[in-house]
Parts: sequence; structure tokens; C-alpha cells
Amino acid sequence: MSGKVVVVPCSGIGKTFGTVSREAAYTVVEDLRPDRTELVALSLLVLGDEEARAAVAGHPTVTIDGCRLACATKMVQESGLPVARSFTVLDAFRKHRDLKPEGISALNPEGQQLARALAEEVAAAIDALEGEA
Amino acid sequence: MPLLPKKKVGIVACSGEELPEGTVSRVAALKVLEALRPNDTVTICLPLFLAGGEGDRAFARFYPTVAIDGCEKRCAARATEMYSGKPAASIVVTDVVAGNGLGPIRGTRRLNEAGMQAADLVAQEVARLVDELLGRKREAEAEVEVAVEEPAAEAPEAPEDEEEAITLCSCGSGIPVQKVAINGRVVTLIALPAIFEQFYQAGKRPGNGTTRELLETTRIYNPIPPEEEAAYAEALAREYEKFCRKRAAHS
Repeated sequence: MSGKVVVVPCSGIGKTFGTVSREAAYTVVEDLRPDRTELVALSLLVLGDEEARAAVAGHPTVTIDGCRLACATKMVQESGLPVARSFTVLDAFRKHRDLKPEGISALNPEGQQLARALAEEVAAAIDALEGEA
Repeated sequence: MPLLPKKKVGIVACSGEELPEGTVSRVAALKVLEALRPNDTVTICLPLFLAGGEGDRAFARFYPTVAIDGCEKRCAARATEMYSGKPAASIVVTDVVAGNGLGPIRGTRRLNEAGMQAADLVAQEVARLVDELLGRKREAEAEVEVAVEEPAAEAPEAPEDEEEAITLCSCGSGIPVQKVAINGRVVTLIALPAIFEQFYQAGKRPGNGTTRELLETTRIYNPIPPEEEAAYAEALAREYEKFCRKRAAHS
């Protein structure tokens, strides 16, 4: 885990934007930067799981929220942990109006493309964070 | 005749993204919500719930919830109990996998065959629990907590002012609720104003038969402990009589 960037998605399961945030997080951690990132579940952090907190402590954390409520960002901060960069699906959609996501269990092709575009943005931010270190 | 709001069950899934079992919890929850019991269930957003979403927390105080957790850390069940009320039922994916002798679950983003089987089994069990909680099996109701306010030092009375007593449910669902004094405490009964109105419009006047029917209808939306049935019946008879007097005076 040493040196890895922690990625925390919002975990919402009831809305399309939550699915996009999770898909973007998986794309970063499994496809784009598999050796330099780690996924940590939000609920574990908030409920004080020692292992999850230890994974985050001392590592840059990037949050990916579905909407403006920014649950992931707020809760990581309220857990006493700094957030290095935060992203929202809503902002990504504003940049890519042609990629309207639909579906919760399974995203439509536009939703998958939006998740990919967001993941690439997150990956670039991770590269920049590592450059700053 | 007014349509009564339908009682639903809240589904809280841990959704832990870092474990295959977390994905099983999420996939199972969505199967129940979208395919198996779409009209009887709603999702409670765990992150919003944790972040202080009052609507979701209030919903879980009034309605039964089923927690689906990926592992023994039971984040969904613990969070529900910590911020709202004890879940009416709780399922742990690892227990279902072990109990059914399923092969290793793999894949966080896309589940393997064993993972999809586990999601199907968990979803079926949740659907069965939803049926129980919606009253198709009475004994399940005893596990559901009654939505009550803090016990008062003296036996409280339900607010005299109907405007004060009748309000909308704080979950934001628009469901009317009424506070009623039962057994020395004030109990919030979901949908009671609408039930009274429906009975009144159907021409049902106060009496033993009506009280029994009121009790059964109220039970659809509110857990009634078996040992308190008589007290609930007495309170419903009293409040319905008051309701009918007011309606008659206004007509």
C-alpha cells in the first residue's frame, strides 16, 4: 500500500450518478492506475474501521462523488482525513453534455463513456499528485 | 375515497466496493428493488444516511429496513442501528455463501458465476423478508421497533388540537401521521388520518366491529406488539370517535 493513492467513491446504489462514480473508481483502480491506487469503501472509513483508516492515513485521498451532496468528500473530511482532490459525476456531465448516463444496475453506453472520461480526469490528477510529492 | 400510502421496506446495502461480497450485496439489493419487489421496497442510500440525510434516517425510523452486508463487519446494519433504528432483518453475504456451499466469490466490478448465484440467493431471501415485514406473516412484526417518543413522566395525552396532532411524516414522503396516547406514552401512527377518513367515508361508525377493523388496517402500516393490542384498540376507538364527532360537526 505504501505510496498508493486512495480512491473513495460515493457508494450510492439508488441513482445513476452513483453507478457512474463507482464505475469511474473501478476504471481508475483496475484499468488506468492499478499499481498506484487502492479502493477504500466509504462505510468502513465512516464507521471507524481501523484497517481502512490505516490504509488512508498518510496517503493522498481522491474522492469521486455522484452528486453535489458530496457524501464521500464530506465524510472522509469528517473522519479527520484530508482530501487531496475531489470530483463529482455532475461536473463531469457538465463537461460532456452528450454523454447522458442512464441505468443503475447497468449503465448505458453514454454512461460508460462518461465514467471513462471522469476516470481519465481522476488518473491525470493522481499523476499530478504524485508529481507534487 | 382516499388512497392510503403503501407501507414499504427500506433496503440498506453495504455496497463495499473493495470486496466481491460487497458487490454481491449491491447486486442483490438492486435485484430486489428493480425486479423482485419493485413496488414494496425503496433503497436507503447508505452514504447519504451516514452523512446525515434526515429524510433517509427518518424513513428508517418509521419503516422496517433490511440490511444487506458483504462481511461480518456489518457496516450497513451497524450504521442503520447507530443513526436510526435497529434493522428489522439483517443478512450477511458470507453467511449465505457458506451456508449454500458456493465456490469462491470473485470480481468486484463484475462478479463470477458463484457471485451471481450468491446475489440471486441473497435477493430471494430479502424478498422473502420483505413479504414477512409487510404483514404476510404476522410474527415478523414483533421484531419491528415501534416508533415512539421518549416516555413521559406522567401519562401524556394526545394533543387536543387536531392540527397539532396530525402532521406529515418527517421522512418527506408526505404520509400523514397522528400522535396517539397509548399505554402511557405518545405513539406516532403512520397513515392514521387517512385511515380514519377512509372509514368515515365508507360509512363505518364507532363500534366494536369498526374498532377491530381499524386495528387490522392500522397494523398494515404500523407494528403493533401483541401484548399491547388491547391498548391500541382502546386508543383507536377513542380517537376515531373524536374524529367522527369533528367530521359530523363540520358537515
